[in-house]
Amino acid sequence: MKQRLSLPFVMTLAVLFFFYIPMLVLVANSFNASKFGGSWKGFSLIWYETLFQDRHVWHAVKVTLIVALSATAISSVLGTISALALHRYQGRLQRMHQTLIYAPLVVPDILVGISLLLLFAALGIQLSITTIILAHTTFCMSYVCMVVLARLQDFDHSVLEAAQDLGANQWVTTTRILLPLIAPGVLSGALLAFTLSIDDYVITFFVAGPGSTTLPIHIYSMIKRGNMPIINALSTLMISMTFSAVWLSQKLAKRRILS
Amino acid sequence: MKITRWITALALALSLACNSKPATTPSTETNDSSATTSPQTLNLYTWADYIKPELVERFEKENNCKVVIDTFDSNEAMFAKISSGATGYDVIVPSSYMVQVMARQNLLMDLDHSKIPNLSNVDRDYLKIAFDKDMKFSAPYMLSYTGIGYLASKVGEVEPSWNLFADSRFNARCTLLNDMRETIGAGLKFNGFSLNSTDENELAKARDTVIGWKKNIAKFENEQYKNGIASGEFVLVHGYSGDILQVQEENEDIVFVLPKEGYSIACDDLVVPKSAKNPELAFAFINFIHDPDVAAENTEYISYLCPNASSYTKLSAEILANPGIFPSPEVRAVGEVLNDLGDEIVKYNKIWDEIKAAQ
Repeated sequence: MKQRLSLPFVMTLAVLFFFYIPMLVLVANSFNASKFGGSWKGFSLIWYETLFQDRHVWHAVKVTLIVALSATAISSVLGTISALALHRYQGRLQRMHQTLIYAPLVVPDILVGISLLLLFAALGIQLSITTIILAHTTFCMSYVCMVVLARLQDFDHSVLEAAQDLGANQWVTTTRILLPLIAPGVLSGALLAFTLSIDDYVITFFVAGPGSTTLPIHIYSMIKRGNMPIINALSTLMISMTFSAVWLSQKLAKRRILS
Repeated sequence: MKITRWITALALALSLACNSKPATTPSTETNDSSATTSPQTLNLYTWADYIKPELVERFEKENNCKVVIDTFDSNEAMFAKISSGATGYDVIVPSSYMVQVMARQNLLMDLDHSKIPNLSNVDRDYLKIAFDKDMKFSAPYMLSYTGIGYLASKVGEVEPSWNLFADSRFNARCTLLNDMRETIGAGLKFNGFSLNSTDENELAKARDTVIGWKKNIAKFENEQYKNGIASGEFVLVHGYSGDILQVQEENEDIVFVLPKEGYSIACDDLVVPKSAKNPELAFAFINFIHDPDVAAENTEYISYLCPNASSYTKLSAEILANPGIFPSPEVRAVGEVLNDLGDEIVKYNKIWDEIKAAQ
């Protein structure tokens, strides 16, 4: 008997198709000798060669990573702290706090970008990589806070009370009980912050100063007369790094379960 | 009890902040000092890949300085940023129409001609049609043109004219730019008017011409026409010289021509913003760019023309024979620069809507 294709199955296939086909096209085009990707002109590694000689692209990669790592570190700490405060204490002040944390999630990027630029200009702060880190921290923090807050919703407070009953002081309960328990939430918040920071264009454009062009800004700027295929090559490298990281972590996780 | 909790939280925050600090601060500080605090740094704000890298290295060596290049992707975005108070850039490379806007907003420094003797090399014929004829606050950097690209094998020998878009042989195989000023401009030029006309009657005539072409073209297209003509999907396209010259490298069948009725010339200019930290070095840089040898080398690399008359004799025969880079003097004479029209632009918006709505 022929089994009917179920709707969920078709939907899953369609979604996976739309996720991965563009990436496959990009990977294929990074080996295409043609500059325009309209037609296949033969296999070539020329774009990888050009990519490794382009110091502007690599400088942009370096700036992007510095910004993403710093903003992730700072916003994870601040976001976790504010989530703990929002969860632990109630009151009018906390409700306002919650609204203020939510706001950056809904305010349009262009508004955040231009208002930060106006603020930095008014305070006479020279735009640089530091101003980008500050800007990214402001919006990443809200995301981290929301993720950690969700994790805290089903957090069992009796565990903390049990620890205190057994004589653990505040410091020990926080570092040995609370933090390890919410660590998965903090980690997923940090990963979200990292991805948001690494591909932000609108806000970054306004607060970037001399010498701090990030990769998204550089890529957009290449529209005028840039060598677009080298971006295909760079993206292919980034995709393969991401996939091997995911593969490796899954392998490690499996080994830990088996042993 | 409550107070101790607050203190713990604060201590936790501080300890974590200290942990994350060493990873971030050293790198940012070194970057800052190289980009801003050193007096001998030139901060150039331009488009990606818009100067030959070896020339930048040569300028760094000759002037014992460091050049930091940052990039933007549209004149409007760059203007929004600079006019909001972003500082630190010494030389910016906007298109001419944006230079007019920036000059009106009083954002630009006057060029000190005594420090830029090489400005005497700039092509006088170009300056006649430029907006800033005396180079008061801008020096031209690179010229490009908007013209017609076609496949020689499909189109054959034709006279370069905007009327090709009305030719039924290319029905649904040609594209016009999806750009209000460029496409209405082509209609204006075809009827013998200025690209910057604000006369209602002239604009109405241009509108009717473009509507006539619209019936013949495949679509209005700004980006995909490059792939389209490279793969032979389109045989005739309205496009920018820089784009079509790049596609030419892959498909030798493509020819670029500038219509005899006239066409638009776009120029990117070198300007020094009032907020520049190092205007002396900025003037030295403009002077360097207009050294005839440097200008010729840059033209060869970028495939746009640096309007530096003394450099023309140093260009290779290949460049001189390429009408997409170096049009003959007669062709150059009918080119025109798109000006910023200020409030008159609403007339264009109205006509563009009518063209888009026409069946």
